[in-house]
Amino acid sequence: MTDQANLERAYRRLLVCYPRAFRQEKEEEILTVLMACSLEGQRRPSLAASMDLITSGLWMRVQPCVPRSVGAVRAAVRLMYVGAAVTTLSLILAIFSLAYRGRSAATLRLAGRSQSLLVAITVGVVGGLVVISLWLWMARENGRGRNWARILSTVLVGLATLHLFGNKGLVEVVFAMLTWLIGLAAVWLLWRPTSSAFFKPRSVTHVGYNA
Amino acid sequence: MILTALAKGSTHGYGIITDVEKISDGRVRLRPGTLYTALDRLCADELIGVDREEIVDGRLRRYYRLTPAGAKRLSTEAARLQAHATTALTRLNLAGGIAT
Repeated sequence: MTDQANLERAYRRLLVCYPRAFRQEKEEEILTVLMACSLEGQRRPSLAASMDLITSGLWMRVQPCVPRSVGAVRAAVRLMYVGAAVTTLSLILAIFSLAYRGRSAATLRLAGRSQSLLVAITVGVVGGLVVISLWLWMARENGRGRNWARILSTVLVGLATLHLFGNKGLVEVVFAMLTWLIGLAAVWLLWRPTSSAFFKPRSVTHVGYNA
Repeated sequence: MILTALAKGSTHGYGIITDVEKISDGRVRLRPGTLYTALDRLCADELIGVDREEIVDGRLRRYYRLTPAGAKRLSTEAARLQAHATTALTRLNLAGGIAT
């Protein structure tokens, strides 16, 4: 197999990161550009080019495909990504906090307490990952104009309101309030009169490839 | 910069990369993945559109062009930058003739 063929095959493998619909339309075209950008005798993609294709492809899978004209929905989707980021941050802080407490417990030879903290960390991580996934899922589905996602987002914000009263520590309360406010703002934007047309069933496919 | 590259006429992906590099004096070298993410967004916003396709040496080339909305956006942005640059140069001149 020639260097060119090797390189092309490697690029095709990386392009799998892109959504299928995008690849069907643009794969050959991007390959033309990738091959034109390659160096003489190059056999495999550079690390930078690989990272560029992987990150761009993954971004294209999750990016909100909301037209600019529907500004409120675009803003709501962005807020949901912010919500996911804030939840990630709070999860990291919670893990560090629990791990610190767990280490203190181990120092004190409180084996039973250490065990329960380990369980608490596991439950916290799983719960946090579920919440982050919900943020990302809702952002994606609302970005696609799914009305059920708009309704589900509203229900989830309602449930988060109940969760507000279950927090004890100051940091927990601050993060819970912050994510709740983000969710509330996103839901408010989703139900704006200008957003409603975007959620009406229609036969025309949205722009973007992640649908 | 992509809009600026397309302002001289319809261009294909590799042409945009080389033109952007030229416009920026070699400071900006777009990578293909980044370029196509940007092209996709610009197409979605109807600032650019596909002009035509060609097969060259067995490879597909798709040419992009500015739409009227894209030309208007570029013109507005260029005027804004020009006004900013003029203000900066005027103030520098007033401050002691640093700019010549």
